[in-house]
Amino acid sequence: MIKVGNNFFIRQILHSYVTWIVKRHFHELKFDPVGVDSNKSILLIANHFSFWDSLILFIVCRKLMKKKFHVMAREETTVKFQYVKYGGAFSINRQSRDMLESLDYAANLLNDPQNLVLIFPQGKLYSNFVNTIQFEKGITRVIEKAEGKFQLIFAATFVQYLKHKKPTATVYLQAEPYAGKNFEELKNVYQMHYDNAKLQQSEIVI
Amino acid sequence: MIPQRSNRLIKKLFAPYLAYRLRKAFKALKHDEVEVLPCHSVLLLCNHFSWWDGFFAGHLAHNYLKRDFFIMMQEDHLQKRMFFNRVGGFSINRKSKEVVEALQYAAKLLDDPNNLVAVFPQGALESNHIDEINIERGIDYIVKKIKGDCQIIYYSAFIEYFESLKPSVYFRFLNCGTNKDFDFERLKAMINEHHKIALKEQVNAEH
Repeated sequence: MIKVGNNFFIRQILHSYVTWIVKRHFHELKFDPVGVDSNKSILLIANHFSFWDSLILFIVCRKLMKKKFHVMAREETTVKFQYVKYGGAFSINRQSRDMLESLDYAANLLNDPQNLVLIFPQGKLYSNFVNTIQFEKGITRVIEKAEGKFQLIFAATFVQYLKHKKPTATVYLQAEPYAGKNFEELKNVYQMHYDNAKLQQSEIVI
Repeated sequence: MIPQRSNRLIKKLFAPYLAYRLRKAFKALKHDEVEVLPCHSVLLLCNHFSWWDGFFAGHLAHNYLKRDFFIMMQEDHLQKRMFFNRVGGFSINRKSKEVVEALQYAAKLLDDPNNLVAVFPQGALESNHIDEINIERGIDYIVKKIKGDCQIIYYSAFIEYFESLKPSVYFRFLNCGTNKDFDFERLKAMINEHHKIALKEQVNAEH
């Protein structure tokens, strides 16, 4: 497993680079204001439909939540792009025993209130047009291990062009009070948030 | 209403530039196959969700459907960019009495089997995530006014990213028959059903 690299300078360079490419590619990046508890770390759960997801949420994290960004990524990605570990990526390989180590590592990161851990429960890329969000079981292990030390936030991202030459990314955020939810409940609550976000997206008429 | 003022030379010069712009902004434009009837003009109906839709339609008309491209645009949009008038854009103003004139003009263009007219039946810019395509009555009027042979083709386009930083566009065509066996209510039902299936299939799109 590849752990997060700690290098202040590379992180700053990556941050500037990501800010620049997001600004260049998107017309606008919209996100909801959400109350952040400064005494708790954040577990961010999001839908995964493109390479941009983590970059967009990286910016949202810097602008809104002001925590140290971490993201669980597939092993192939972290091996192919070695530098992403300095941006906060750590790897998970679903086919190996290493997987448990990665999940425990994520739970460990949540012990520090300065941290934010982003997990895509879908486990791989899906279309932006899916109606139901698949959840992989691993997320419950992270939640159980770090019980009570984190604030749970849901994110649902959509990218649309509408009347501009460049696309607009909209991130719907919602802080979810976490109280011992089991796997099915978590899945359903996220699904409700996602449906609601999707409905708002589809009602746009210009 | 502003009629189109295109000529062959400008269109010929514009096509490679359009291809270049699309190549720069998108990773790939993927479309499925549709049977294009010979000696028929084409009325191309498209879902309208972005700034790029007209360019997509123009690109497909030129490269795949092989027809001379014309497009119906909102009057205020065309006035802002009068250049599109030179590459086949003509205007419609839904709020004025001239609306019939624009529809008749579209029908007249479709009398020539070498032509293709792209129309956004929704009449407004709507989200890419809707599952209901609203079709304005104007389509009915256009089709009934056509004197020659015309084939009606609809496509649903979807934008997806997946692994790439650049988006790809997926087009899903539907052959809606010809103007000889046309029924407006049937067209509406056909398009909506197709769009729903396309949305479902999009979830399993290859990437």
